[in-house]
Amino acid sequence: MKVVYQSTYYTLYQSEKERCFYIDFVQKTVRMSFCQLLALRHKVLSIPIEHHFDSDLNKHGFELLQLCNKEHLFILNTLEVLDLKSLVEQGFVRLGISVNATALHV
Amino acid sequence: MKDIARQAMSIKVESMDMLNGQIKMEANASATYLAMASWCEQNGFFTSAKFFFKQSEEEREHMMKIFNFLIDVGGSPLSPEVTNINHDYSSIVDVFEHTLDHEIAVTKSIHQIVMKARELGDLTTERFLDWFVLEQVEEENTIRDILDMISVTGTEGVGLQLIDDHVGNWIN
Repeated sequence: MKVVYQSTYYTLYQSEKERCFYIDFVQKTVRMSFCQLLALRHKVLSIPIEHHFDSDLNKHGFELLQLCNKEHLFILNTLEVLDLKSLVEQGFVRLGISVNATALHV
Repeated sequence: MKDIARQAMSIKVESMDMLNGQIKMEANASATYLAMASWCEQNGFFTSAKFFFKQSEEEREHMMKIFNFLIDVGGSPLSPEVTNINHDYSSIVDVFEHTLDHEIAVTKSIHQIVMKARELGDLTTERFLDWFVLEQVEEENTIRDILDMISVTGTEGVGLQLIDDHVGNWIN
């Protein structure tokens, strides 16, 4: 497996042999197809991070993230969400299908 | 490093995001025209209602064209959420003026995606949108012609009835 991008907390890998991707979430490593990686990107970039700074909109500053057709569940704090956004944005640039380091909000 | 992501998807993710935005816009247009058809039916403009029912179907076809394109290129099309559709109009003229505004907004949005795709070097998306650019010329022209017809006919006396009858000329 080759490292595509490493952020503060997470690492995105590409497995050429299996033609898939892995993300090391520290607690566990999740195997993903490309479609699942796209779905992760959508979910992560759709998280309204500004809500984390407003106790009326996000009381506890946590985010629930379900991945790979509800196979995995993660609870992320604000810093982890920001880091995962960075991993997704930079990872897709490294994969060659995103031009901008700052992806569009989806 | 082997290009697995590129093998799976043939356009840029930024283009995919914008096309998903356009899917939402087309769905919104389809729902808006359905609301207009409802208004026309309730206010006795039965030919205009038919016109808007057809427009609504066309917008959905546009949406599906983009949706299927995203599937073909290996992207991830998103089923759009459509809310806040206006059902209140002050007159039939108001309905068609809103229609023109809506079409202009759609044209601008498509042009922005074309320009961004060009900037990204995403020729696949740029070429795909050629059809939409020309389609919008036709859409805008149809509504402009109807507004011209309304202006010539006038809304006094039997004018409103004549306007509704004439709208039938633009139902293919």
